[in-house]
Amino acid sequence: MLAEDFELQRALALRAVTGGLLRLRWLAAVTRFELAMHRHMRALKYNPDQPRVPRGNPDGGQWTETDANGNPVAQRRVRLAGDAPTNDPPEVPKERPKTSSERVGWLKATARTAAEQGIAAVEVAKLYPWMAYYAAGMQSYSDPPRSLDELQSATPGPGYDIHHIVEQGQAEDEGYPREAIDSPDNLVVIPRMKHWEINQWYQTRSPEFGWQTPRDYLEGRNWAVKRSVGLEALKIVGVPKP
Amino acid sequence: MSPQLLKDMPVVELVNQFTEITSRQYDAALFGNITKYNSLVDQMLAVADELKSRPGDQRSALVPLLVHPNRQVRLMAAEFTLGLAPVASRQTLQELSDAKVYPQSAYAMGTLRALQRGDRKPT
Repeated sequence: MLAEDFELQRALALRAVTGGLLRLRWLAAVTRFELAMHRHMRALKYNPDQPRVPRGNPDGGQWTETDANGNPVAQRRVRLAGDAPTNDPPEVPKERPKTSSERVGWLKATARTAAEQGIAAVEVAKLYPWMAYYAAGMQSYSDPPRSLDELQSATPGPGYDIHHIVEQGQAEDEGYPREAIDSPDNLVVIPRMKHWEINQWYQTRSPEFGWQTPRDYLEGRNWAVKRSVGLEALKIVGVPKP
Repeated sequence: MSPQLLKDMPVVELVNQFTEITSRQYDAALFGNITKYNSLVDQMLAVADELKSRPGDQRSALVPLLVHPNRQVRLMAAEFTLGLAPVASRQTLQELSDAKVYPQSAYAMGTLRALQRGDRKPT
């Protein structure tokens, strides 16, 4: 065999081994992801037929025959109303869901689980091709926190959105000038799915605001209060550095 | 559910209702169904008010839910037991906040910050 042939065969063999290893790594990642999603969806259906000892007790978290006050569970038993579900947990859809809210829901749940498992969005998209279009947004979801200065000076790329710290719709309705609304001080570049989460948070009733939505709470309040809540919103979705 | 139906329910059934409603909140939040979530808040508040009105403030029956497997159930159980089991409920909120799983981490962090600022008084 000529030396060149030997080198060629060696290179081809190495490439095959590397490719095989990469494939195995990908399969392992996908399996971890599928299992994580399975656990995640099963948690939605979990029927807690038996209480556990509250945290702070020596046996905290353990299944118990008595409740926190030492009463027998027969009298204070906690369970979901209705029968325990017997159907399998829902699977992540292989086809693109028809409605926007379904797509957003699956994308967020999937991005969250993938981030927890340390799986790249591009790997997820191999499993669920309809998610490929959103891969950049899913990937940016696991970005580490950045300083407010970095967020304000960043240039938006794929998977990122420009976000108004003081919500632009309400500010405009209340007569604030566009110069203030669009001033660099009020703009940050954040991961797209974090942006979705903030929008959801603004519309969701919360104990922090007396069970109003943050948006309702802010109606008619001054710029400083709106900005303070806007910065709070960024913090609670983990965008800026603490 | 009508107020009369809630009034006729034993405490254990009210706790079951609370668990079911907050489990449905988890689904609604996960899939961004904000209208549904917000309407479930009303149902949950009605159940919590009914428990509070029972002799001895029966929201204490929610304490075992602080270790429920569903994090939304834990979150809301903690919200309504802050004045009754402050250590355990704050610990649950802290753990939810530290887990950084939206939206429960966001709400837990919001409540903890409000408590720290003194804006929120546990009742």
